[in-house]
Amino acid sequence: MIKSKIFFSFIAIEIIVIAFLYTDANHTIAARNAEVQSKRELVRKLSLTDFAVFTEARYTRHPSQADTFSAFQDFPSSMDHFPAGSIVGPQRGNN
Amino acid sequence: MFIYSIIVATLTSLLFLTQSLKKEAMDVFIEAPELIVQRMSAGRHDLIPVGYAEKILSIPGVSSVEPRYWGYYYDNLTGGNYTLIARNIDALHMVKGTLPKGPGECAIGKGVADVRLTDLNDVLFLSINPQQKVSLKVVGIFTADSAILTNDLVVMDKNDLVNFFALPKDMATDLIVHVSNASEVPTIAMKIRRDYPDTRPITRSEIVRTYENVFNWRGGMALTMFIGPLLAFAIFAWDKATGMSAGERQEIGILKAIGWETTDVLKLKFWEGMAISLTSFLTGSILAYIHVFYFGAALFAPVLKGWSVLFPPFNPIPYIDLYQIFVIFFLTVIPYLASTIIPSWKAAVTDPDTVMRS
Amino acid sequence: MAYPTPTTITAITAPSAIIAVEGVSKIFNAGEADEMRALDGVTLSVAKGSMAVLKGPSGSGKTTILGIIGCMTRPTSGKVMVNGKDVAKLPEHFLTDIRRRTFGFIFQHFNLIKGITVKENIMLPLYPTSIPIHEMKERADAILESLNIYQKRNYHVEKLSGGEKQRVSIARALINNPEIILADEPTSHLDTKLSEDLMDRLSRLNGEGKTIVIATHDPLVYDKPYVNRIIEMRDGKVIGT
Ligand SMILES: Nc1ncnc2c1ncn2[C@@H]1O[C@H](COP(=O)(O)OP(=O)(O)OP(=O)(O)O)[C@@H](O)[C@H]1O
Ligand SMILES: [Mg+2]
Repeated sequence: MIKSKIFFSFIAIEIIVIAFLYTDANHTIAARNAEVQSKRELVRKLSLTDFAVFTEARYTRHPSQADTFSAFQDFPSSMDHFPAGSIVGPQRGNN
Repeated sequence: MFIYSIIVATLTSLLFLTQSLKKEAMDVFIEAPELIVQRMSAGRHDLIPVGYAEKILSIPGVSSVEPRYWGYYYDNLTGGNYTLIARNIDALHMVKGTLPKGPGECAIGKGVADVRLTDLNDVLFLSINPQQKVSLKVVGIFTADSAILTNDLVVMDKNDLVNFFALPKDMATDLIVHVSNASEVPTIAMKIRRDYPDTRPITRSEIVRTYENVFNWRGGMALTMFIGPLLAFAIFAWDKATGMSAGERQEIGILKAIGWETTDVLKLKFWEGMAISLTSFLTGSILAYIHVFYFGAALFAPVLKGWSVLFPPFNPIPYIDLYQIFVIFFLTVIPYLASTIIPSWKAAVTDPDTVMRS
Repeated sequence: MAYPTPTTITAITAPSAIIAVEGVSKIFNAGEADEMRALDGVTLSVAKGSMAVLKGPSGSGKTTILGIIGCMTRPTSGKVMVNGKDVAKLPEHFLTDIRRRTFGFIFQHFNLIKGITVKENIMLPLYPTSIPIHEMKERADAILESLNIYQKRNYHVEKLSGGEKQRVSIARALINNPEIILADEPTSHLDTKLSEDLMDRLSRLNGEGKTIVIATHDPLVYDKPYVNRIIEMRDGKVIGT
């Protein structure tokens, strides 16, 4: 059955690729360990609390610092003005 | 099968990206301040009197209290939001140049440098109104690989920042409380709230938890983006389940007519579906890995970016969670198998004499 | 849903009959507006080792009775004996087993599976059995040789001519070494020469002891001298044997 041979060789190739990617992942993680350490230093020394990813609004730029009512913080209807607002969402009050 | 791979690739890309960001957040924010105290006023985060520090310092277990000065600046010129912070620190690994040593100097994130076309030793001019403005010499630029933390930062001297924002005297943005014994943080937070009911203490574990939630695959970011491809997959599987072609039906009839049992047919269909879903799944995962970890999730960036002017390029570290990959596997392979086997089963239990006419 | 039961069952099943059908009726879509009585009290028997032809105009029920004999569908009422066993009431599992062991089918439209090779098509009936793969291949090769299509064994079936397809479908019918071969209008897609060729092969198989039942309205088939039994049908009834 030729088809099954093609199938199995394809699967075999994919598994080899995945094995390669997996070792690549492990290598990268090891290689970038220094980067992680530097980032820790950055967080510690600059006392950072959040990723600088979504810079549209306070509650998306600093989700961990936003207050309980952050979704409404500037104007009630601004709730989902920012696309990231649907992603980051207001945090539940912690106290 | 192509569509199948693409859908798996999308789902897995999302997982890879969120998982990697989450792991990175866990890794780096364990160095975040143990306790931050904000003041709340009228339901909003407000400036905090530096004087609060004294009483907080007297709480047993608190080793020091440090006011933090920071704020946002909307840059009319570029439409970007910058985060301005005042820190006086000596050196950092991830900065090209130095950090500000005194008034008139600043270090800026790569994103700010790029949108303002500013290089080392150039001058960065910021202005809110004719009274509140500042010119700073750029003495340092954060490296690109730190962009996820520093992209929109402008680090400057405390006095520059206080003057620029015209902060009232003896007021800070919030307070950092250093605690000698981490296990006492919740107690101390409670005491602070008792002494100052208008404050809101934020612990490090809450910061970490925030990121756990934001990048949790079942919530926030992932969930919002998951729904699309998952729905696509459902439609795809449904289409397959309901639209079994006459040719396939005929084939099943023939197999039954020449002596195959229903179970034999189902076995064949099972392995066929397994082969297709397995190859698609593996192909999709490979594509996802390449997309996320070699191309920085380039296809997602425009969606995530939203209205942000400053958006750091993703360069996620390939932390892979096998459990999540299994979840994707079961979320795609099982419905696919069901959608191939159920109609085959329906066709296989009917009398095969229909193949004699057509 | 009252099915008129066949008045009397007259046929006496000869002991040598490999197939005996008694008072078989088949009603399609019973109870609905388009109810269709395809068979109405059919009684017939076929002796072991004979070459029988079911003859009749289109729509007379030939395909239907062949399907019932071949255990592909059940009659609405009546008795169907194959090798002395009443198959009409056997559970599905046994019917499949009988189909596989006892019958070889040659279909009007060949019914080969596209996308796989000639040889794979021929081996299909053997996959559910416990026959080892190398023996399956040996058997398939032998049959392909005897039918003169060995050189085409690795072709996909859609690339074959009509006559070649017909031979592949015969090969598939033979691979189980069945006792009975059922053929439904096997000549309808073949020209005269190929039809003669097919009949030659069938008569040779008959000579080897296989029972053959052909449904047809092609004189080229039923006028053959070696056809030793003609069953005429019309409107779902047997009108002469
Ligand atoms: N599944 C079905 N549902 C309803 N009617 C059917 C079905 N199968 C067959 N019939 C009807 O039963 C009758 C007998 O059909 P059958 O196919 O047995 O005839 P035939 O003698 O083989 O005809 P032909 O020579 O054209 O092949 C026909 O009138 C046909 O329309
Ligand atoms: Mg017919």
